[in-house]
Amino acid sequence: MSIYPSLPRAYIRLAILATAALLAVLIVSCTPTHEGGLKDAPGSAGGKTLEADLTNNDSTYIGEKACLECHEHAAQHASMGVHAAAFRSNPRGARQSEVCEACHGPGSKHAEGAWDRSLIIGFTRNWGTPVATQNAQCLSCHQGAQRINWVRSTHDVNGVACADCHNPMEKNSVTGALVRNSISETCYTCHPQQRAEFLRRSHMPLPEGKMSCEDCHNPHGSPTRPLLKTDTINELCYQCHAEKRGPFIWEHAPVRENCANCHLPHGSNNDKLLITPRPFLCQQCHDPSVGHPGNFYNNSQTAESAGAAQASGILAVNLQSQRIIGRACQNCHTQVHGSNHPSGARWQR
Amino acid sequence: MKNHWQKKTIALCVSAALAQWVMGTARSDSAVGVNTILGNALNPDTLKTIPAGDPEVLDAVPFQRTPTGKLHEWPPIVPPTTTTASGWKYRGEAQIGWMGAGGDTGSWWYNQYKDLPTNGLYLNNFYFLAEQPEKGQGYFIEALGGGIGYRDQYEGVKFGRYNDWKVKLFYTEIPHTFTTSYRSLWSGVGSDTLTLNGLTPGGTRLPANPRVAPNAANSAGATRNNLVNAINAIDDAELSIVRETGGLTFEKYITNAWRFYGTYTKEQRIGERPFGAVFGGGGGGGNVEIPESIDYDTHDILAALRYDDGVNNFNLQANVSLFRNNIDTLTFQNPLYATLNTIAAAPAAPGQPANILDPTQFTAGRFDLYPDNDYYNLRAEYARSMPEWYHSRLTATASFSKFKQDDDLIPPSMYSLNGLAINGVPAANKWNTTAALSKQSADAEIDTQLFDIGLVMRPTEKLDVNGKIRYYQTDNKTEYFACNPQTGQWGRLLNDGTGGAFVIPSALLGTNPALANNPLGTLPTAYNTTGCDLAATQALNLVPNAGNVNLRNIPFQYSKTNFELGGEYRIAKGQSVNAKLEREQYNRDYREREETWENMIKLGYVNRAFSFGTLRASAEYGVRRGDTYNADPYHQFYSASLGPEPTAATTAAASWVHAMGSFRKYDVADRDRLALDLRMDLIALQDLDVGITGQYRDIEYPDSEFGRTDNQTLGSATLDVNWQPSAKLGITGWYTYQQSSLSQAAIAPGSCNIGSYYFYYSDGFVGTVAGVVGGRPPAAPVRRGATVVNTVYVAPGNAANWENLCADHSATSPLWPDSRTWEANTEDSNSAFGLAARYDMGFVRFELDGTYITGTTSVDYSYNPNALNAAANDPKNPATLPGNAAATAAIWQYAGTGMPDQDYDQQIINFNIVFPINKWVAIRALYRYEQGSIDDWHYAGVDGNPVPSFNTVGAGGVQAGVAQAVYLDSGPQDYHTNTIGLLVQVNF
Repeated sequence: MSIYPSLPRAYIRLAILATAALLAVLIVSCTPTHEGGLKDAPGSAGGKTLEADLTNNDSTYIGEKACLECHEHAAQHASMGVHAAAFRSNPRGARQSEVCEACHGPGSKHAEGAWDRSLIIGFTRNWGTPVATQNAQCLSCHQGAQRINWVRSTHDVNGVACADCHNPMEKNSVTGALVRNSISETCYTCHPQQRAEFLRRSHMPLPEGKMSCEDCHNPHGSPTRPLLKTDTINELCYQCHAEKRGPFIWEHAPVRENCANCHLPHGSNNDKLLITPRPFLCQQCHDPSVGHPGNFYNNSQTAESAGAAQASGILAVNLQSQRIIGRACQNCHTQVHGSNHPSGARWQR
Repeated sequence: MKNHWQKKTIALCVSAALAQWVMGTARSDSAVGVNTILGNALNPDTLKTIPAGDPEVLDAVPFQRTPTGKLHEWPPIVPPTTTTASGWKYRGEAQIGWMGAGGDTGSWWYNQYKDLPTNGLYLNNFYFLAEQPEKGQGYFIEALGGGIGYRDQYEGVKFGRYNDWKVKLFYTEIPHTFTTSYRSLWSGVGSDTLTLNGLTPGGTRLPANPRVAPNAANSAGATRNNLVNAINAIDDAELSIVRETGGLTFEKYITNAWRFYGTYTKEQRIGERPFGAVFGGGGGGGNVEIPESIDYDTHDILAALRYDDGVNNFNLQANVSLFRNNIDTLTFQNPLYATLNTIAAAPAAPGQPANILDPTQFTAGRFDLYPDNDYYNLRAEYARSMPEWYHSRLTATASFSKFKQDDDLIPPSMYSLNGLAINGVPAANKWNTTAALSKQSADAEIDTQLFDIGLVMRPTEKLDVNGKIRYYQTDNKTEYFACNPQTGQWGRLLNDGTGGAFVIPSALLGTNPALANNPLGTLPTAYNTTGCDLAATQALNLVPNAGNVNLRNIPFQYSKTNFELGGEYRIAKGQSVNAKLEREQYNRDYREREETWENMIKLGYVNRAFSFGTLRASAEYGVRRGDTYNADPYHQFYSASLGPEPTAATTAAASWVHAMGSFRKYDVADRDRLALDLRMDLIALQDLDVGITGQYRDIEYPDSEFGRTDNQTLGSATLDVNWQPSAKLGITGWYTYQQSSLSQAAIAPGSCNIGSYYFYYSDGFVGTVAGVVGGRPPAAPVRRGATVVNTVYVAPGNAANWENLCADHSATSPLWPDSRTWEANTEDSNSAFGLAARYDMGFVRFELDGTYITGTTSVDYSYNPNALNAAANDPKNPATLPGNAAATAAIWQYAGTGMPDQDYDQQIINFNIVFPINKWVAIRALYRYEQGSIDDWHYAGVDGNPVPSFNTVGAGGVQAGVAQAVYLDSGPQDYHTNTIGLLVQVNF
C-alpha cells in the first residue's frame, strides 16, 4: 500500500513547486534585511550601464599618488597583478591612466570623506556598493568578447558579482585575478557538489591540476543553458576527444546526440564516468527481440562466481558472461562511439 | 585519402613541434578552447609555494568579503622584487630538491593522472616575471613550469606588452593510466600490429591433421589450457597514454575597439588502452581483451576578431580542428579457437577432397580504428546595447559547423576464404578487397547550424524582461549500403570472416501461406541478382529469412528549438525574484519519436540583503512529451523492409519485431522533471563563513513501463566552513553527501515462432512446442510443481497473428511474457570530506590539506527464476538430468538479489612544513599520503580466473566446446603510498 496520497504525481510535483515558491515569499517578507548595506542600483540589463548609483557624480580624479597616501600597502598587493601594471605602463584610454580610479571611480569626494561608502566604488560586501554598479564598472572595459552573453546569463540572473570570482587587488591565482588559487577552487565556492564529484572513482583530471571548470564552461555567459563554450555538449567533448567526432558510417544514436546520455561529466562511481554500471546502463535502451541485450545478467556470471562454480564441480552450465565481466558490453562492442569498419554496424570492429 | 591529408598537415605538425620547444601559459579567453590551466597534482593551482600570510592584509582592514559574503583569501605577503638599472622589475622563485615515494607506487589509482618521482631530484615548480612598469613601456615576460621531465610536466611562457599585444606558448603533459594489472599476450603493443608471444594464432587445432575436421571441444579445451598457462606466466603491465599538448596564442589590440585573437595547438596522444575483440557472430564466438594502440594527433587552429565600441559588440571566430590517427588499422593475432557461424565449407569440386571449415585459419583480427576527421566552425556573435530604448540589449549568434571524414574503408576480411561459402555462395576472394564494399571511402559528413537571438529590456526600474529563440540543426549526409557488389549479397561479414549477418529469401516455399513464405522456385540467391540495387531487391517482393539484418547506415540527425521568456523583478534592496518559461522542441529523424517537446518553468529567488549572508534558491519543473512513440523506427534500414512479412509455420518471426512496443528509450521518453537548488552563504562571525548547499533532482518517466522507469533521483547536500582568524591561522573544511537512484525494467525475450504453441505455467515458466499445421495441438511439456494456466498458438497464414501476439508484452506474449520481466535498481551514495589548515609560527609554517571520499554503488534486482529457466524439469527431457537441475539451482543461488556492492574509498593528505631561512630562501618538507580501496564486481575473480569459460558437460556426459572468454585486465586494486620530499625554495 502506498504511503502517498492518491494524487497524480504531476500534481504532487506542482504542489512541491508551489510550496517552494511560498517558502520563498515567506523568506522575502519575514526576514530582516541589511539596512546599511546594499543599495539597489540599475541592473545590467542595458549592458553598458554607467548610471552608477553613487553620490560622487561630481567627484573628480585625484590620481594614484593621492590614493597611495592612504592605500600604499594595497597598492603593493595590486602591483602584483596585471591591472595595475597595465594601467600604469600602457593605459588604454584616459580612464585607465587614472589607475586606482579607473575601477573605483573618481576619488576627490572619497578623499574628503573616506568612510562614506557612497563616495567611491568598492568591490567587497563590506563596502556595499551595489553589485550592478560594480559589474557595470568592470564591463566598461570588459564588455564583449567572451562576455558578450553575460547579460541574463545564469550568473547574472543570480546576482553574481564579478568580484565574487575576481580580485585584481590580490595575487591569489597565477592567472585570472581570482578570489581563490585556481579557477576550479573559485567555482567550488558556489558549486561544492562538483568538488565532491570530482573526487569520485572516475573523474576528469581537475583535482590533478590538468583541467579547470573553464575548459568546458564559460562562466561569463553562453548561448547554452549550462554555460557551455560550444554549441552543444558533444562539440564540447570533442575538444579533447576529437577521435569520437567522426562522423562514422555506423553511428550510435544517443552517442551522436548527447554524450551525457551515458556519461556524468563531473565524476562517477563507475568506470568511464558512466551513469550506471555496465551492462545495466546499456540495457536501459537495449532490449531487442533477438539476441542477448535484453537478457537478465546477474551475479552468477562474474569470473568469481564462475570460478566458484567450477570449484564446486558444476560443469553442466557455463556461468561466466562477457556481458558482465570487465568492460561488459564493450568486451565485444568496443567501437560503441561509432565505427568505420564495413562490419561495424554493431560496433564490433 | 589519409596520405593526401598527411601531406597537407606536415607543415602543421612541424609548426607544432617547434611550438612545443618553447612553452607558455594556457589560453585566457574563457569562451574558447581547453587547456585553461597549467599544473599537476603537486601544483593543482599552478604554483604551490606556501607563502606566509600578510598580517597587514590588503589595506589594513581584515575580513573583507566578496559581494556574496565569502571571506577573501588571506593575501600572501608581497614577494621581494628587484629592479634593474634599465627599469626592468623582476621576481621569481624555484622549488627544487629530492623526492621519494614508497608503497604501491605502481598502482593504477596512484598513477591515474600524475607522475611523481619515486626517488630522485625534482624541480617541483618555477616562476619568473619581468616587466617594465614605467609609463610608455609595459613590456613583460612571464615563465612558469613544474614537474619538469615527468609525464605530468607543464611549462609556459608569456610575453608582450600590456594592453597591446601578447604571445603565449605552453606545453603540458597529462598521463592517463587505465590499468596497471594488464597481462599482455602480445608484443608490439603501441604499434599497428600485435604479435602473440608463444601462443598459437587461431588456437590449437585437435587433431592437428589438416585433412581431418577439428574437434571443437578438444580444440577449445586445449586452447583454453594454453591460454591459462600463458596468462599465469605473465607479469602485470601498465596500459596508459600520455596527452602532450603544445600551443601558441597571439593577441593584439588592432585599435581600441578591434582585437585579434589567434591560437594554434597541437595535441598528441600516445600509448595504449584496454580494448576488446570478439570473433564469430551473434552472441560472440570468443572474446579477448586486447590492448588498443593509440597514436593520435589533433591540430586546432582558431582565429577571432573581437569588436567593442561600448555600444556594439561583435565576435567573429573561425575554428579548424584536424584529428589524425597515425594508426589507421590495428591487426592483432588471435589466441582463441573461435566458434564460427554463417561461414561454411563450400562443396568440393568433383574429384577434390572435401573442404574443411577450420577455425584455426582465422589467425588474426583487424580493427579499423578511429578515422581521421576534420571539423570546421564559423561563429559570429553580435550584441548591441540600447540604453535609450528601455535599457535594452540585443544578442545574436550564428554558428556553422562541418564534421567530415573520408577515410579509406578496409575490406571486411584479411582472408581469401578459399573453400568456404556464405549461404551457398562461394566466398573465395570475394571479401578480402574493398571491391566487396558499396563505396571505397567513408565520405561521411554532418553539417550543423545554430541561430540564437535574444532581447533583454527593462520597462521599469524594477523589472527586467527577456526573450530568446534558439535553433540548432544537424544534417547528416552519410550514406553507406551493406551489400557486396561482387556477389550481390546483402548484409555484412562479421569479425574478419568468423561470422556473418546476411539476408536471403526465406526458404519456406509453396503456395499455402501457412506453410510457405515465398513462391516455389525462389532461389536463396534471388536477392543477389539485383546488383545491390535496394529498390530492385525490394521489388522482388520476397520474404526475407530474417528481419534484423542491417542494410544501410542510419543517418541520425535532429533539430532543436528553444523558446524562452523570462524576467527579473527587484522586490526590495538586494532582493529579486526571477522566472523563466521555456519550451524546448526536438525534431529527430529515425528515432522512436520524431518530435518531443518540453515545457519548463523556473522560479528563482536571490537575497543579498541579509545581514548574515546571501540566499540563492531556485526551483524548476519541466514536462517532456512527444508524438506517438514508435518502438521500431529503423524498419527501412533493416532487412524487414525487403519484402512482405512472414506467414509460414516454423518461421522465427522475432527478428521482425525489433523492439518491445512498451519499451521506452529514456532520451525520448515522456519525462517530468523537478530540480531544486539552494545556496546559503552565512557570515557566522567576522572571521568565519558557513556555506550550506542543497540540490534535489527528481526525474520521473511516467510512460515508461520498461527501460528507465519510475523516478530517477539525486540529492546532494554540502556544508562548508571557512575560518580565517589571522595571517597565522586558517582552517577550512567541507562535507558533501550525495545519493542517487535509478530504476530500470526489461523482459528477457522469448521467441515468436509461427506455428508454435506456447504454454504458460503457474510458476511463470513458458514452454514451447512446434505445432503441426492442421494437426492436433501438442501436449504441454511436463513441469513438476506447476500447471499450465494459458496456451497460445501463433497461427500461421497471416502476419497479423504473430504481430498481435509478439509486438508487445503481455501475460501471454510468446516474445515478451510478463513472467520474464526483470527489474534492477541502482543506488549511488557518496560522502566526501575535505580539510585544509595553515599555521604560521614565524620560524616555521605548517600547512595541511586532505580529502576523503567513500562511495557505494549497489545494484539490486528482482526476477522470476522459474520463468528465466531455459528448460522445463521434465524427467523425460535429458536437459533436466539431476546434474543439470543442480547447476540451474546454483545459477540462481549465485545470482541472488543483486550484484555485490561497488565500494571504494580514497584519501589523500598533504602535509607541508616550511622553514623560512630568510626572505630569499626557505626549506619545504612535504609528506603526502594516499590510500585507496576498491571493490568492483566487474573484475571480481578475474585475476585468478582470467579464462572463466570452460567446456561444459551436457547430456550423457558429452563434452561440448565453449567459446573462450579471455580477460587480461584484472581491474583496479587497493593501494597506499607515502611520498616525502625535501625541497629548497629560492626567491629571486
